[in-house]
Parts: sequence; C-alpha cells; structure tokens
Amino acid sequence: MSGVSLAKDNVSEADEFMKLDQLLRQSSQLFGDRPAVIDPERSINHRQLGEAANQFAEQLRRLPIASGSRIALLMENCVDYVVAYFGILRAGFVVVPLDTSANGETLRYILDNCEVRVLIAQSRYRRQLKSVFDGGCGVDYLLCDSILPVGSTALVKIKFGDTMRLDSILPELEPREAGPSEIIAMTRNGKSHELAAIFYTSGSTGTPKGVMLSHLNLVSNTQATVEYLKLTEIDRTLVILPFYYIYGNSLLLTNVACGACLVIDNRFMYPETVLNTMEEQKCTGLSGVPSNFMILLGKSTFASRKFPHLRYFTQAGGAMAPDVIRSLATAFPDKEIYIMYGQTEAAPRVTYLPPQQLTAKLGSIGIPLNGVAVTIMDENKLEMPSGKTGELVVTGDNVMMGYWRQPEEQEEVLQDGLLFTGDLGYKDEDGFIYIVGRKKDIIKAGGNRVSVKEVEESIVSHDKVLEACVIGVADPLLGEAIKAFVVMKPGLELEERELLRHCQRMLADYKVPKYFVVVDSLPKYQSGKINRQLLKQQTP
Amino acid sequence: MEFNTEKARNEIRKFIVDSYLLGDESIKFTDSDSFMRRGIIDSMGILELTAFLEQQFSITVADSEMLPTNLDSVENLIGFIKSKSGS
Repeated sequence: MSGVSLAKDNVSEADEFMKLDQLLRQSSQLFGDRPAVIDPERSINHRQLGEAANQFAEQLRRLPIASGSRIALLMENCVDYVVAYFGILRAGFVVVPLDTSANGETLRYILDNCEVRVLIAQSRYRRQLKSVFDGGCGVDYLLCDSILPVGSTALVKIKFGDTMRLDSILPELEPREAGPSEIIAMTRNGKSHELAAIFYTSGSTGTPKGVMLSHLNLVSNTQATVEYLKLTEIDRTLVILPFYYIYGNSLLLTNVACGACLVIDNRFMYPETVLNTMEEQKCTGLSGVPSNFMILLGKSTFASRKFPHLRYFTQAGGAMAPDVIRSLATAFPDKEIYIMYGQTEAAPRVTYLPPQQLTAKLGSIGIPLNGVAVTIMDENKLEMPSGKTGELVVTGDNVMMGYWRQPEEQEEVLQDGLLFTGDLGYKDEDGFIYIVGRKKDIIKAGGNRVSVKEVEESIVSHDKVLEACVIGVADPLLGEAIKAFVVMKPGLELEERELLRHCQRMLADYKVPKYFVVVDSLPKYQSGKINRQLLKQQTP
Repeated sequence: MEFNTEKARNEIRKFIVDSYLLGDESIKFTDSDSFMRRGIIDSMGILELTAFLEQQFSITVADSEMLPTNLDSVENLIGFIKSKSGS
C-alpha cells in the first residue's frame, strides 16, 4: 500500500483534520430538534441521532477489538443504519458498507479481504449470511437481530430500534486483548488522512476492489457538495438509493452535515408509493441514477404532479440521455436539475453542471466542485488543450487513500495523488467537461460498474459454453445494458433461459446480461483476441 | 367469462418462480407474502411483472395503479386482476 501505513500514534489526537462523526456532532448541537432521518417505521432528530450514535459506540467498545478495526454493515436503508454508521466511526472503527444484493460468495470475499472483525446485519439477509458462514468466514462477531447458525463466529444478539443494544452475547465474551491499534493513516500534500470507510467496487478484473476513503476525503467532498447544492437545515431529501452505494453515502453525509433530513423510502419498485412519500413528506430534493428518472418519467404520474416543496433533482451514476434530461426539465421547469459526475475513488463527487447551464451545456458533466481539479491528459500525462480528448485526471482532498491491499491496481489509477479515472473526455472553451468513452472494459449498467471479464468468466464456466464476449448497449432504462454473445461447444445446444439461470446463480442481479445471443463464432484479431470493438460496431 | 382464480394463481406463481427465483421451487412463499419484504422483485422486475399481467390477462396497468396494494403479493395481484377484469 504505497504511501499508506499503520499509524504509530493515534492520529485523531493530533486533531489535524475534521472527522466524519464531527459532522453529526455539529448538526446535533446546531439543529438538534430538527428531523434527521425518517423511515417508514420511525423518525429521529439530530440530537437523538447524536445520542443514539454515542450509545451504540459505547456498546461497540465493549467488544475486544482494536481501534481502526473494520466493521461491516449489511443493512437496508433505515434509521438504524445511520445510527450504526456513525456509532462505528465515533467508536474509532472503520465502516465497511456492504451491497445487500451481493451473493454470499462476494460478501465472504469482501469480509475476508479487509479482515472485517464485526459484521452488523439484519436477519432479512439470512440467506446470504448462511452462505457467508457456511463457507467459513473470519469475522469474529456477528451482531444480528436473530439467532443464526454462524459456525465459529460469536453471535451477538442486537436489538434494533429506539436504542440499539447488544442484548445478549452468545457465547459470553471471553476476556481478551483488543490488540494494537489498526488505524491506517497517511499524509498527502501536507494533509493527514486517516481511514474512515472502505467501499467495494467492481474492478475491470471482476475482483471487487476496496476503495479506502479517509475522513478528509469524505468530509471535504461532503462540504463541497453541500455548498454547490445549497443544502441547508430546511432541506428534506428523498432517499431511494442505498446507503452502501457511494452516491447514497453522499446523501447520508451531506444531509446530516447541514442539519437536513433524510426521508428514506426503499420501495422504488412501486414508483407511485415513493412519489406519495415525496409529496406527503414535503421533500425538497430527489437524487437518482438515470434508470430512476427513466422509470419515473416513463412509468409513473411523476411528470403530471407538481411537488410544490421540491427544489432540486440530482443525477449521477452514469450518463443520462439528453432526451431524458430535456423531458425532466420540461416537466419541471421551476426545479433545479444538477447533473453530476463522480466515482467511488473520488469520495465520490468530481463535477457538477450548474442548473442554469443545463440547456446551454446539455450533455456536459459540468465543472469541478470546490477543492477538486480535473485535468484532461494524454497518454504521456501531458495536459490536453480544450477540445482535445484525453483521460480525466482528478486531484484534490477527495482522492482516495488507495485500494485495500491491491497495490498493482492502485498503481494503475493513483500516482502522486493524481486519480486516473479511466474516463475519456474533453473540456470546451469555457472549461465544461464532456465524457466520450472509457478506457477500460467496464459497463455501467443502472449506475453500477460491471466488469465484462467477470461476466464473461461466469458465462464460460457453463459446461456447454466455449467462449463469450460481453458488451454494453444503449438502454433507455439502464443507460447501458449488458449484451452477451455466446459460442457453444461443438454439437451442444443451450437455451437462453438456461444461460440466464446460470448467470443468475453466479452473479449479482445487476451483472446478469439482459440479452443473450448465441453465435457460431466471435470476431477476432490476428492475435486471437476477441475484437470487442467490431462486435460493438456491428451491434445496433 | 368467469374469472378463474385458481388458474390465475398458478400462472402468477409460475411466473414468479421462473422469472425471479431461478425456477427454484424449493423457495417457499405464501400468497400473502410481500414481494418487496421478501426481496423477490426489484424495481426492474416490477416492470416485467406488469408487462406479464398485461399480456397474460389482457388488462392495462395504469401508472397510478403501480402500488403495493395492487402488485405486492400473489393475493394482491389476483384481487387487482379480478377488479380490472370486472369479475
């Protein structure tokens, strides 16, 4: 992990930087009586949230684990998630939000990869948990609201609700040493970074990569985002994106930081229900990925409603088609629409398009936010003039500390504090940035990064398949949909349905191809490598 | 023509099992189980479900009818189809 080391001393004592849980401390003091989080079951104000996080931090400190240990969350969006998130940080641990749609194998890989000591999970994910623990998992403690068979891991019964308590501990905790501090810290450009969170994201190899984000990364990005969105304590943001997703995490932090309110509704599958919540709760903001806006505009009464309290929309998680942006602007001419760009490695926001520029700069991802710089570079790392296409390279306090124990992958994207995004684009004469493509074989489906290699390997693992090639095709809902071209072994046949099931067993839902095409052969270069570009060009 | 509840139930359950449960009939869910709470269907899946209803039962699902009370369990679906079919 170049440039990153275990801290000899507790860096927090130096107080050189603001910690994430200080955002909550501030909002608790300044906006204590204002609502902080509302879910369908209950609501909590900023003071109560601060107190609940304190209490939960105290509970966590009972566990004999070292400061800086990783604690993972496998929970849906709810008040308890927010309490647990800040409780973990306040107790001096590192939070690892887990994708609740991931299969057991992927979750086990992540838990083992970053040596998670404690997993906090809701029993609604019992199927994944069973798979995680059946396969053997190095987690020391599972904190869950139900008794589950978890092998040699100690099960701690947790009571979610008004006060999150560790109810009973099975077996009784043996007195043991917490061990030396595991706090990870580094200095870059004279500023201290201490690891706060690890978010896993798909890499081009298919193996999830742990993006290490420091308190400084997240605090600086949160503050800059609050500034350009003009968020204040009177805002109420409807949250339909999961908190484990970096965009959802950004909603959590920005709203808590300014004393605003998170209105959680996990029922986006029923858009009308979500719209009713938005209306009833007098939400001032809605944030989504392109597919959210496509579904709302195409399959709900969204465009015909008024939402008098709504002030703004934000959109990130992949390019949204200009037609959709126009439809949104036409339906809501009095609302601010923020088109944004970012990536997990940038904590996550990099640029935003100011709403007043939406029409003039349609198709642009906008300009960098405060404290962030974007340079367009050629292959020799030289800055390109405006109008010329190159790679988007990001600098700023938001640039990640690195990938967790993946130095080679880290070296590819992070050099001397420069984050090489893998996205290709150009700046116009006014400095507005436009993205034109990607360097790597990654498909961005519904806001999720999908490694073509991982999908292809899963398809080829089927006994009857000889080879496969996967590409992204334009899709009105997902931005990009996954299309798989599959060659069977000689003399063998396979129905599309069987391929689909095979992929569903192997991959998270969003990685499963939408289309399968069985072909006799795949176009290849002389080297024998599949000519993916040609396949893309031949696909309408 | 009279609405055949049993036939509709079987067709719906078969669609749910085939489309969302990988054809795994060992995964049990009752007619009153919420698809949302059980994590059976997501926001993309619900669009497939409404397409299935429109095709299989010759009904039209209006945007304003995409509500849990209409769509979030086998029971709710049957009630919804019945009401749309005028039975």
